[in-house]
Amino acid sequence: MMLPSPSRALQNQQPLIGSDMFRLKQTEPRGLRLVVAATAKYKGTKMREEKLSEMIVEKVKEATEVCEADVRSEECKVAWDEVEEVSQARADLRIKLKLLNQDPLESFCQENPETDECRIYED
Amino acid sequence: MAVSTIYSTQALNSTHFLTSSPSSSSKQVFFYRRQTNRRFNTIITCAAQQTVVIGLAADSGCGKSTFMRRLTSVFGGAAEPPKGGNPDSNTLISDMTTVICLDDYHSLDRTGRKEKGVTALDPRANDFDLMYEQVKALKSGIAVEKPIYNHVTGLLDAPELIQPPKILVIEGLHPMFDERVRDLLDFSIYLDISNEVKFAWKIQRDMAERGHSLESIKASIEARKPDFDAFIDPQKQYADAVIEVLPTQLIPDDNEGKVLRVRLIMKEGVKYFSPVYLFDEGSTISWIPCGRKLTCSYPGIKFNYQPDSYFDNEASVVEMDGQFDRLDELIYVESHLSNLSTKFYGEVTQQMLKHADFPGSNNGTGLFQTIVGLKIRDLYEQLIANKANAPTEASKA
Repeated sequence: MMLPSPSRALQNQQPLIGSDMFRLKQTEPRGLRLVVAATAKYKGTKMREEKLSEMIVEKVKEATEVCEADVRSEECKVAWDEVEEVSQARADLRIKLKLLNQDPLESFCQENPETDECRIYED
Repeated sequence: MAVSTIYSTQALNSTHFLTSSPSSSSKQVFFYRRQTNRRFNTIITCAAQQTVVIGLAADSGCGKSTFMRRLTSVFGGAAEPPKGGNPDSNTLISDMTTVICLDDYHSLDRTGRKEKGVTALDPRANDFDLMYEQVKALKSGIAVEKPIYNHVTGLLDAPELIQPPKILVIEGLHPMFDERVRDLLDFSIYLDISNEVKFAWKIQRDMAERGHSLESIKASIEARKPDFDAFIDPQKQYADAVIEVLPTQLIPDDNEGKVLRVRLIMKEGVKYFSPVYLFDEGSTISWIPCGRKLTCSYPGIKFNYQPDSYFDNEASVVEMDGQFDRLDELIYVESHLSNLSTKFYGEVTQQMLKHADFPGSNNGTGLFQTIVGLKIRDLYEQLIANKANAPTEASKA
């Protein structure tokens, strides 16, 4: 699914006339438009993304093993709850970056551009 | 009840004051001055804090970023994390609103929960005393040092200072669980996602992650059910508004969860809250807007409105099944709904357009979330107006 750029979203706020001017599901880009960086801006955020993804792998593995013994046990419930927590945290970070265009380290890095975490991440 | 500082001025002689505490959230001092042959009243309010508290309950803690943004955007301004603070803070702040994630009141961090064998859904993992104290303080206009639960590390980080806002939203798993906290809420919402839709959404959310598979997602939902049913689900009986998200009835055997049937259940008799209705309040209406005046693409749109009872409470239910595909469908629908609490014609549509790229923008979830946002604004304005009028009533004595 293609996410429209902010400039596209602004365009949609123009006069509400014409039925086809507005497409809630964006298909083809019309001409030139700003492409929003959909990935982490700072190294620290990129590291967080990777860490969360790794944690998901680890915790799913752990939960699968723990639940083999008894699917109704407390340990099993807790293990899957951890998977859920980390999965949601990963998804939240993705939403922040892609939809809201907010890197969580933005304001920290404005104040501390020198730290390792705040190096601009280049793909 | 605390009284704010009183300044005596020369202009006021032989002052006599009464304090009134209509509620814990306003601090007002009345000055009453008597002169020889005339009597008149001067009313001075000092630092009247009118914090309105809204509770929002749903599964997966505070993952409702887009709902929050729709809600806060009705008041204008973008809600952002506190600047210069902990980058893993869950809090959102805009001009009028502050959104607090109730996970911050976890009494046990991830390790602690593992040791005790409790999930985050379990009340034993949460400090309701602290939650109550701090929400009460904020409602009374007092800033608090609120803990931060870090979802990345699973630890409780150093607290952050939260200033009392005009509108405080507490979102999370247990906003209505504790009775004392419930009593502080001016309005409460419960987001009730059916199991099939939950499954579909979690697939969309997690399938891109290399750790996950269909089996792991299924197992995770299953394992979560017992605690969810025991601790979270029962809260919905207390909610003033419930947004129920179900699979569509327009497409037989649809299991993709892309087309949704969304019901907005609104409790009757809630102060400052007048439910939305279709055509004729209190009647039962079934409405398909697509026809001669409006052409819709498959599967179309279907609306329902009816009075109903919800957990022994009288309620009104507006329901939308289907999707908006074009702008004029949205405007058309808006023009036929009543009691939307909009300030101008097309406001719902405009709000939906503002966040056209958010999930749910083309169906009932986005529509009803936006409408609930407008209802909250209306409730807030009425509450403020009411508190402003109270002193004038008292002074007539």
